[in-house]
Amino acid sequence: MAPISIRGLTKRYGNVLAVNNLNLEVIQGEILGFLGLNGAGKTTTIRILLDLLRPNSGNASILGHDCQTDGLRARLNVGYLPGEMGIYSDLTGREVLDLLAGLSGHVINMSRRRELQERLEFPAGDLRRRLREYSTGMKRKLGLIQAFQSDPQLLILDEPTEGLDPLMQESFYRLLVDVKGRGRTVFMSSHVLSEVDRVCDRIALVRKGELVLLSSVEELRRLAARSVRVLFSEDVPGPRSWNLKVEGPLGPLLRTIAGLPIQDIEIEEAKLEDVILKYYRDGAK
Amino acid sequence: MKSAALLFAYSLRRVRTLAIATGLLLAALQLVLIFVAGALHTTGAFDQLSALIPPFARELLGPSVTIIMSFSGIVCLGYFELAVMGALIALAVTLATTPASEVETGFMDLILARPLARHWIITRTIALTTLVSAAMLVLMVAGTWTGLWLFAPTGVAWPPAALIISLAINLGMLTLCWGGVAMAIGAASRRRSVAGGTAGLLAFAAFLLDYVARLWQPAEKIAWISPFRYYNPFDLITGNPLPLKNVAVLGGIALTGFAAAYVLFARRDISH
Repeated sequence: MAPISIRGLTKRYGNVLAVNNLNLEVIQGEILGFLGLNGAGKTTTIRILLDLLRPNSGNASILGHDCQTDGLRARLNVGYLPGEMGIYSDLTGREVLDLLAGLSGHVINMSRRRELQERLEFPAGDLRRRLREYSTGMKRKLGLIQAFQSDPQLLILDEPTEGLDPLMQESFYRLLVDVKGRGRTVFMSSHVLSEVDRVCDRIALVRKGELVLLSSVEELRRLAARSVRVLFSEDVPGPRSWNLKVEGPLGPLLRTIAGLPIQDIEIEEAKLEDVILKYYRDGAK
Repeated sequence: MKSAALLFAYSLRRVRTLAIATGLLLAALQLVLIFVAGALHTTGAFDQLSALIPPFARELLGPSVTIIMSFSGIVCLGYFELAVMGALIALAVTLATTPASEVETGFMDLILARPLARHWIITRTIALTTLVSAAMLVLMVAGTWTGLWLFAPTGVAWPPAALIISLAINLGMLTLCWGGVAMAIGAASRRRSVAGGTAGLLAFAAFLLDYVARLWQPAEKIAWISPFRYYNPFDLITGNPLPLKNVAVLGGIALTGFAAAYVLFARRDISH
């Protein structure tokens, strides 16, 4: 049973097509990065999964339960971090966590909550403060704690590291590795390509509401072009320094230049970002 | 159900300061009115005040003018004074548009991302609006009786308990009616200010229509559409029983509003 299964999902806002015939299956225990530019349809898809938005056609299911017709059971094992934490500022952090824990349908293990607080460096004393006194980063940490505290089967995270400082981002990445290690599935949207490169197993890239790429990060790295700089000690046809982009194995290039007076070769590792940016720009196949 | 009860308790906690402050002010107003009524009665000022009313005004207002210019009349004034009605309706509109506020802030995303059915949001809001409105009226009635015990001059006739209760019930139904209208609008809105403003404008227009119809005969033909037409305190003060029709119409509008809120909220997209 796939943690998330999306079939032919389409959502329109008037004449604007936000999601267009989207098909996607998330595999149990993976971290899937859901990428796209602003307005690509990432948040709309996430909101349909949570039954906040109703699709025009197609369907989505979570852990085998249809998100629209069986939404309560679909959301029973989901932890959700919204892109913006809409919380009333007159509440304390503890009140927010207790309320959302109570609504989750699960008994919260308080030691789990304390562990999350420690990992995200969120002192217990801060939970007694009202949210109006919280910084953006603290609100984000609180959002992460509320999403993770019930130890759900599936985590849906919308731009999770937005507003976190680099140290907290590190803690968050370690947290992701831990939950993945315990068989949980993570579906996260992100703009930060280095983050996706580092923590995700697969990526799904949407552009203008359509899925234009679904691939493992490993496979994508193989597709990415490496930068090769060859410096010659004597004159050769063309300039003395060649800057090349090489897709695939380097063998053919090395065979070609083998007879030339090579002084130095620099090979720069393939960057996932280059491939993704290419898709962002032109939606290439 | 447990989640819904938790959400209700949380919502009640959030509005407690507003509700308690409004309730105490309304109760205090009853005390002040009774204190003033007592003072006027003791000095015999009611007769002098009645004599000051010009004949055309006396004709326009009918027998109610005699009734209102009495100790009992001033005590009852606390149940149809414009500021009191306005405060109660404003409070009901504010509470009834809670879902719109929660959508606007994004808090609804967090609530509905949990296994909580959408109808509980509306049920919670109905319970909240009804409970707080009822509490306001209970506090007002308590204020009236406390005021009578404390400030009523010896020998003066108190307004009958049935009259005070009838006024409170009719006013409560009018409040709930506007709560229902606001809830229906709020269930389909993304902004509380839009929902509350629209409901407030509707209430003001309906009040004006009823007011004009009382002074200008032609407007009488369409005045039936105004919910304020179904709250006529002077009828009650002159000794008529609380008309069931009034309660039924106001209750019917409230229930229609609640039903519309369920349907609209269940079908809408939640986006802020």
